[in-house]
Amino acid sequence: MIIEAHGLRKTFTARRGGEPIEAVKGVDLRVAAGQIFAVLGPNGAGKTTTIRMLATLVPPTEGVAKVAGHDVARDPARVRENIGYVGQGGGVDENAPARAGLVLAARLGGMSRRHARIRAEELIAAFDLADFADRPVRTLSGGQKRRVALAVGLVNRPPLFFLDEPTTGLDPQNRAHLWDEVRSLRARGTTILLTTHYLEEADALCDRLVIIDHGRVVAEGSPAELKKEVAGDVVTLRLAGAAEPARALLSGLPYVREVRTEGETLRAYLGGERDLPHLLRALEAGGLAIDAISLDRATLDDVFLRHTGRSLRDAG
Amino acid sequence: MLRHTLIFLEYELRNSLRNPAWALFGILQPLTYLLLFAPLVANTTAGGGMADTLLAFTPGIMVMIALFGSLLVGFTMIAEMRDGYLERLAVSPARRPAIVLGRTLRDVLVLVVQALLVAAMAVVLGMRPSLPGLAVMLLLMAATGLLASGLSYGMALALRDEASMSAITQFFALPLILLTGIMLPISLAPDWMRAVATVNPLYHSVEAGRALFAGDFGAPAIPVAFAFTLILGLLTLAWSVSSIRKTAF
Repeated sequence: MIIEAHGLRKTFTARRGGEPIEAVKGVDLRVAAGQIFAVLGPNGAGKTTTIRMLATLVPPTEGVAKVAGHDVARDPARVRENIGYVGQGGGVDENAPARAGLVLAARLGGMSRRHARIRAEELIAAFDLADFADRPVRTLSGGQKRRVALAVGLVNRPPLFFLDEPTTGLDPQNRAHLWDEVRSLRARGTTILLTTHYLEEADALCDRLVIIDHGRVVAEGSPAELKKEVAGDVVTLRLAGAAEPARALLSGLPYVREVRTEGETLRAYLGGERDLPHLLRALEAGGLAIDAISLDRATLDDVFLRHTGRSLRDAG
Repeated sequence: MLRHTLIFLEYELRNSLRNPAWALFGILQPLTYLLLFAPLVANTTAGGGMADTLLAFTPGIMVMIALFGSLLVGFTMIAEMRDGYLERLAVSPARRPAIVLGRTLRDVLVLVVQALLVAAMAVVLGMRPSLPGLAVMLLLMAATGLLASGLSYGMALALRDEASMSAITQFFALPLILLTGIMLPISLAPDWMRAVATVNPLYHSVEAGRALFAGDFGAPAIPVAFAFTLILGLLTLAWSVSSIRKTAF
């Protein structure tokens, strides 16, 4: 395990009196080397605080964490030698060109002047920065800046890479590029821990994830496992004026795990993947007319809904 | 640590060279004083020609650059904190004291170069200082730079906000300038004000600078200024270094 955390807690005490804020209330994490591991949750759930504790930016109030074999509280310097960290802002010097930032990071990592320049060239090529590598970073677009930030974080080839909300504010094309870059990092053996509040991102990108809400882990597993726990298929139905009787009927069926109502719309979580015909026959037999129907696989939002009682899209 | 300090120094110097406009702006205001204020003072001082006036006035202008330039370096650091740049450095293999030390050395160098430019301007205007005196004054400027930038980074890391930082520097800049005797001689001041001026390190730097330019190496103001400035400079440097250590644990 490249990350092992037990009972991590972080309580921030307000400066002038005020209530202390419990940002993280006991998080356990086990991340195996070579994975893309996501911490998924709404804003304010404690994702960023968790990743900041693991990256040695804030000390945990309670709990222990070993990162790359070293205790974050006792030996933060050794942890830092093994990690790359890209925070939400990117953390690149806005007034210097990318090339200078890359050389600086390489020199600080112990490379000679010559090796640092070679390494900077490699990353400029790998992240396609050549067109703007000599312009001050403040003149770059959001997507370009993010690529520079990634490159700077990877200069010293860290075995473990932390990405805090890596795609927030990126357009779909840049997001897809970044996903590809994260996947190719994994292919080269790097472990990636990222936080996100995008369900699609966690679903498309990660091998395993934890879902965090209100400072606690509410679910853990691979995306497929988690979705399977909720349902095989999910049927969304609209029945004019008959939502309540339909809910009662569906809840009584053996292969329906759960039914949720949202106004006129019903969402039925089916255990298997071949139960839709049975469900349709049952509705017909009950004399209920369907206005609209759609069949989906369970999503991570359904997982979130199941564990927290609300939708991640609503939670923000 | 030394290696990282030099790496940061080189990086920051390249940054400064890339945007030399800022360092030039820093001496624009002092130069304006030199051009517009020195002739005024020359005419109000009985018997004093332009050369004598410049000899007394230029050390004060040098100290002013420290106030209008070096004391403001912390603003850049606040922006770096907001961009998350400082945070990323803090979790990189960089030795954290080196982050501040490299910047401070850069500021000291910039200040010495600026002071040299001001001296050159004064020479063009007719000042003829003692050359060894000028050299020692540049050393004193280096110590002043240590003090000003240490103070500025310390404030930046403690306040983390441009508004409060600019309120505080504005608040201190005027009394510090007036109590150096740059504008008007402190000898005109009432006793209490003269007493207050003696605890202003910049006052001693100006006095020492005047003695040095005049070639009076025996003046007691010289050792007092060096001791005062260096001790305070090391204290503020220690403050800023210990503050940067706290950006991560």
